Amino acid sequence: MALAIACTGLVKSFGATRALDGLDLEVEAGEVHGFLGPNGAGKTVTIRILLGLLRRDRGDATVLGGDPWADAVELHRRLAYVPGDTNLWPNLTGGEILDVLAGLRGGLDEARRAGLVRRFELDLRKKARSYSKGNRQKVALVAALASDAELLVLDEPTSGLDPLMAAVFQEEILDARAEGRTVLLSSHILAEVERLCDRVTIIRRGRTVERGTLDELRHFTRTSVSAETVRSAAALAELPGVHNLRHDGARVSFTVDGNHLEGAVRALTELGLRALTSHPPTLEELFLRHYGDDLAPSPDPSPVDGTGSP
Amino acid sequence: MSRPDPQLFQGLGPLIRFTARRDRLRLGLWLGGIVALLVGSAASLLGVYPDQESIDTYVRLFGDNPALVAFAGPGYGFDDPTIGVILVNETQVFACIATALMSIFLVNRHTRVEEDAERAELVRAGVVGRHAPATASAVVVAAMNVAVAVLAAVGFVALGYATVGSLALAGSILVVGLVFAGVAAVAAQVGGTSRSALGLGLVVLAVAFLVRAVGDVGGSWVSWASPIGWAQGVRAFAGERWWTLGLCALLAVALTLASFRLASRRDLGAGLVPPRPGRARAGRWARSPLGLAVRLQRGAVVGWATGLFVAGIVYGSIGDDVAELVEDNPTFADVFVQLGGGSLVDSYLGTAMAMLALVAAGFSVSSALALRSEETAGRAEPLLAGPLERWRWALGHLAVAAFGSVVVLAAAGLGVGVAYAAVSGDAGEVVRNLGAALVTLPAVLVLVGLAALLVGVAPRAALAVWGALALMAVIGFLGRLLRLPDWVMELSPLEHVPRLPAEDLALTPLLVLLVLSVALVAAGLGGLRARDLHIR
Repeated sequence: MALAIACTGLVKSFGATRALDGLDLEVEAGEVHGFLGPNGAGKTVTIRILLGLLRRDRGDATVLGGDPWADAVELHRRLAYVPGDTNLWPNLTGGEILDVLAGLRGGLDEARRAGLVRRFELDLRKKARSYSKGNRQKVALVAALASDAELLVLDEPTSGLDPLMAAVFQEEILDARAEGRTVLLSSHILAEVERLCDRVTIIRRGRTVERGTLDELRHFTRTSVSAETVRSAAALAELPGVHNLRHDGARVSFTVDGNHLEGAVRALTELGLRALTSHPPTLEELFLRHYGDDLAPSPDPSPVDGTGSP
Repeated sequence: MSRPDPQLFQGLGPLIRFTARRDRLRLGLWLGGIVALLVGSAASLLGVYPDQESIDTYVRLFGDNPALVAFAGPGYGFDDPTIGVILVNETQVFACIATALMSIFLVNRHTRVEEDAERAELVRAGVVGRHAPATASAVVVAAMNVAVAVLAAVGFVALGYATVGSLALAGSILVVGLVFAGVAAVAAQVGGTSRSALGLGLVVLAVAFLVRAVGDVGGSWVSWASPIGWAQGVRAFAGERWWTLGLCALLAVALTLASFRLASRRDLGAGLVPPRPGRARAGRWARSPLGLAVRLQRGAVVGWATGLFVAGIVYGSIGDDVAELVEDNPTFADVFVQLGGGSLVDSYLGTAMAMLALVAAGFSVSSALALRSEETAGRAEPLLAGPLERWRWALGHLAVAAFGSVVVLAAAGLGVGVAYAAVSGDAGEVVRNLGAALVTLPAVLVLVGLAALLVGVAPRAALAVWGALALMAVIGFLGRLLRLPDWVMELSPLEHVPRLPAEDLALTPLLVLLVLSVALVAAGLGGLRARDLHIR
């Protein structure tokens, strides 16, 4: 499949600080791609490089087949952007700002604009000065979604939106994907990422630490298991890939690497399995593993209280 | 709230220390700049007027000249002149304007700018009383004014000026600074944004200056309607009347208390003027970056043009007094014609126009720097993330700066022309003075070009354009007094512009300045295209 965004080995320094340190990012055409990382990991810097607002020091970057710095204006006709913290001209109204942004693009679909304004419940006659953060965000969202851009670059677009508006946003993104548009979505709202994204890239300290579909990522991380067996399961601690084992009489709980799950479950069965619950790592656990400063697994990340747990 | 609640001032001490520390460089520059100019001028005067004979000559030449009176003041003590009297006449008004500007800019920066940037929210959400931030700014700015006055007085006395007169002169500078700290504090409550609050403070200063100019030239009570008039009324070196300084001090206190009262009624971030709903759709201008720049800056253009038109009318109407004086005193006129090159009236009008051009350049600089503030505030980001070349975006704002400068200068020229045409009965004065104003345009455009260059090439130093404007003002008003070397004088583009109507029109320097402006803009746009955008 064609790539909408392809970056390899991006490096960007600001004085002595190295904001990006060999970052890779691939977004396929037509997908919704989650772009995740802790604060200060370099997400916004990456996005600004993709928009040609910053110049990369080293590395390759291609957006829609063009160079984001040299072909910026041409590419910007085909993409739309929503910043995470939208600043608007305080003495213009929301409606005027929508028209300004659309006018520079060369017009927009009026019906679409009206529909988005209605769904996002935007008061167009208010001056931007009096908008709350959520309302400023809505202006930027409507401007981007009402365009016919084939690539949407969204930098924490729902920060400041209420849950109802966040739901409207999610509907709009799913519609955009159905129309064949590509979306790069940087977000800290994991439920949103889980619902919308086909694949994710996780970055940390300016480098890519993980990328793939959510299922793939889960596969490489540990599943939590708790079980009740007839015979003691203490010996399972010796199995490869089993961690943090705790046992209390018949009950046992542990975490196991994705690729060793099968062996662990087989061993449990042989011990006379009476009850079993297991759940894949939540996205939250997945991220915490990458976000935390200490990458080594903590000794007891999630105490499991026996059979009663989900 | 007749009895102030101490809770309202909670956190004052730490805020004062924070304010002073955060701005230590800025405060140092204001203080050092004003004191250096004052003491430098005072030292220079001692060399220019070493004996009583030269002092008497000064008074004979300048004593009754309405042009000088309009700029410098009523000339107390000219009947029995000393070197101190000359010091007052040469420095007092400009020093008062300098401390007033310092107070207005600093108070606005520490109050309304903080609110607009939503930093005030962060501070006020802490254990901080409602009036503590504004009071901290008032304390720091008052301390700055005291420091200017003390250092200036010490400098004057050390140079050998009479102690009492030195104290009175320094005191007059101090109280005007305090009054305008109060004016800015009130403006911060009334204006809807930091910009409008700043503009309001500057307009009040301009009115105070003009009112006393009218009063001083006419020798009337009108001067007493201006706090600058009160400060001059102390009669430094000429039989001091200290109570006039008390009037200013009372006004400063009253304004500060009024600002507290207004602050108690006002919401954080809002002005006293309530907002109205605007239009739901943009006008036809929305499609171009130039249209957007015009829309964003049209209020500023109208405001500056109106202010300069009024100022022009004031200067133009005074021209009549100059004309009368020429008839009364032919020898005096001869001297001035030799100095100025044209008739006395023309040399007065030329000087007035140079001053108005400097004020107009203030618009040009702030308008061109909108480029930088749009960038750092993140408002350029959504535009440049769209299909808009950087140079087109930048050129939109620069074009508004350039054409706005034409409008503002033309307003000043028309003001002078219409008023002087009315008092002289010669309609041709309208065109003459309009031309005299527009001929300064190339000099003003050099500043626009410099702003473009800095924004493109050295964006973090972009505010240095204000320094360039300040240098032009110093060269224009004090350059000859300070005996600056020729090469320094020639740094100011305004020095290369013929002072119409007194001088002949020379096209070459104007063309050179225009080409220079265009080259600066081109270099700036080139730099802008090659650099990273700065978004907080």
